[in-house]
Amino acid sequence: MSVIKVENITKVYTETAVPVHALNGVSFEIQEGEFTAIVGPSGCGKTTLLNILGGLDHPTSGRVEISNIDITEMKDSDLINFRLNNIGFVFQAYNLIPVLTTLENVEFIMLLQKVDKKKRRKRSMDLLEQMGIAEKANQRPSELSGGQQQRVAVARALASKPNFILADEPTANLDSVSTSNLLDIMAVMNREEKETFIFSTHDQRVIDKARRVITLEDGRVKSDEIRE
Amino acid sequence: MILKIAWKNVWRSRGRSLVVMGAIVVGIWALLFGTGFMNGFMVGYMADIINHDVSNMQIHNPEFKNDYDIKFYIPDGNKKVEEVRNWPGVKGATTRIIVNGMIASSRNASGVQIRGIDVQHEAIVTQLDSLIFEGAYFEGIKKNPIIIGKKLAEDLKVKIRTKIVLTFNDGNGYITSAAFRVAGIVKSSSIKINGQYVFVRQEDLNKVLSNGNNVHEIAIVTDSRIDEELLVNKYNAIYPGDLAESWRVIAPELAFMQEMYGQMLYILLVIIMTALVFGIVNTMLMAVLERMRELGMLMAIGMSKLRVFVMVLVETIYLSIIGAPVGLFAGWLTIRYYQNVGVDLTEYSEGLAAFGYSSILYPYLDADAYIVVTIGVVITAFVGAIYPAWKAVKLNPVEALHKI
Ligand SMILES: Nc1ncnc2c1ncn2[C@@H]1O[C@H](COP(=O)(O)OP(=O)(O)O)[C@@H](O)[C@H]1O
Ligand SMILES: [Mg+2]
Repeated sequence: MSVIKVENITKVYTETAVPVHALNGVSFEIQEGEFTAIVGPSGCGKTTLLNILGGLDHPTSGRVEISNIDITEMKDSDLINFRLNNIGFVFQAYNLIPVLTTLENVEFIMLLQKVDKKKRRKRSMDLLEQMGIAEKANQRPSELSGGQQQRVAVARALASKPNFILADEPTANLDSVSTSNLLDIMAVMNREEKETFIFSTHDQRVIDKARRVITLEDGRVKSDEIRE
Repeated sequence: MILKIAWKNVWRSRGRSLVVMGAIVVGIWALLFGTGFMNGFMVGYMADIINHDVSNMQIHNPEFKNDYDIKFYIPDGNKKVEEVRNWPGVKGATTRIIVNGMIASSRNASGVQIRGIDVQHEAIVTQLDSLIFEGAYFEGIKKNPIIIGKKLAEDLKVKIRTKIVLTFNDGNGYITSAAFRVAGIVKSSSIKINGQYVFVRQEDLNKVLSNGNNVHEIAIVTDSRIDEELLVNKYNAIYPGDLAESWRVIAPELAFMQEMYGQMLYILLVIIMTALVFGIVNTMLMAVLERMRELGMLMAIGMSKLRVFVMVLVETIYLSIIGAPVGLFAGWLTIRYYQNVGVDLTEYSEGLAAFGYSSILYPYLDADAYIVVTIGVVITAFVGAIYPAWKAVKLNPVEALHKI
């Protein structure tokens, strides 16, 4: 089943002095359970594409369907709710609420979903355990390393039981050990829990771990290869 | 958990939050003490003027106030005062003969209002005897004693027992003079008592005035629990030929003060709270801008605008309200303390006396004031909270996330 279907999307930024054509007709489908990397040099349109896939931004033209729902014309206020219940996010940085503990950060998204307190607590603890950071449950994000913080962000993204998880350059700020740790954990969650991951990167070591690689160049799909 | 996040966010910039809270504490304290102080000023001044000068009500011949001619006396004034003294609610009533004239010592001269008083009843009505600063209340001088104010005594350069001469038009229109000796000097916060009135015995004045035993003024002090307007109306109904008036009409500046008294709190409240709103809004805008990426992230992962709005709103309200009880308590404590011991303004008393204020001031605040201030702070908190919260909601998650 396809979780994402994009048809011929374009994105033109017009607020700039000269209009920037960030995406020039991108089409592809992502199936449930994929582990896909969106790759390409800086400025090729990865963030723009992920923002559109995540319902954070609207394409200038084209269609985006998520689980067969067209989100292209959805209102911003409806999109917030749609994101909460369908999409998990991991950003490059600033993922966590600094005044909450690790555990509370994971719980927070379920609180927004109105999951009851007991379930929330249990699921958060389980996820932190799976991420290998259960012992940091009661610490603040600032007491964690960059790699640990990103793992909490993945746990938080998983906690909401999304259809898929979008991660925009999740390893950009990490050293190579933390990078491969994070990717390994994501791969485990993909294999064991059938979570769909879509992440952008320009790091070859990360690309090597992907099972499908969509390469962008100047806002177009240059290649799309599936390797098993 | 949103309340918890808001609470913790307050303490993120501990120093900054403490400064805002400190400002709120000081603001509320200053508001309470300032109001109490001003109230004390006004109540003290009003009490002085009412108790020692104008009394609660006065009766005159309606013509008298226009030109102070001694012919416009109160018909049967001496009989009427006896009657009024027996009215319920009247604590005392006294008569006065009032003549404008000149006072002269060997050194200087000045225009004055000569008040021929009923020594015994004047003491009941205006407690003139209690204002004696030097000498005695019509004692120690056998023939023609006079009491004058401290300022007048200084101007005339006279002391106790000094002889002075009063000059005025008598009942037949002739200019008359009479010699008096200073028996006492009074000191008061009233400019009139201090420098414009002189007090003599009615019987002494009558001997030279040729105006029968007629009186021009009846001053009445009433029970504080009764509204003097009722007695004013009662008198005017019985004696429509005379004119009874309350202190509000006789001294409109006091009536204005009485009005101001209630409003002072609101005036200061608006001024101080407006200043605080700017401080609060400024601080919270800083907090929102600093946290732009975090707020963008929250909206990106699915926190609704309403929740973000509430979070920032609650944070601002916490920030604004935490200091309030401390400020209220500090204000209450200060007022409680000074209510009993008074604020000694003797150092500044010369300047104040010029305005007619007394030098020891007793701050005073109604219990209602604390409620009004509390409500004011809550309103301030909400007003200050709305703009930053609205700013937070206006953030676009994508843009906010990408601001480095
Ligand atoms: N908000 C924006 N306004 C104008 N131009 C933008 C904006 N965001 C991105 N761009 C431009 O669009 C192009 C694609 O950017 P982006 O999607 O961030 O690429 P990547 O994430 O692959 O580095 C770049 O040329 C960038 O400068
Ligand atoms: Mg990017």
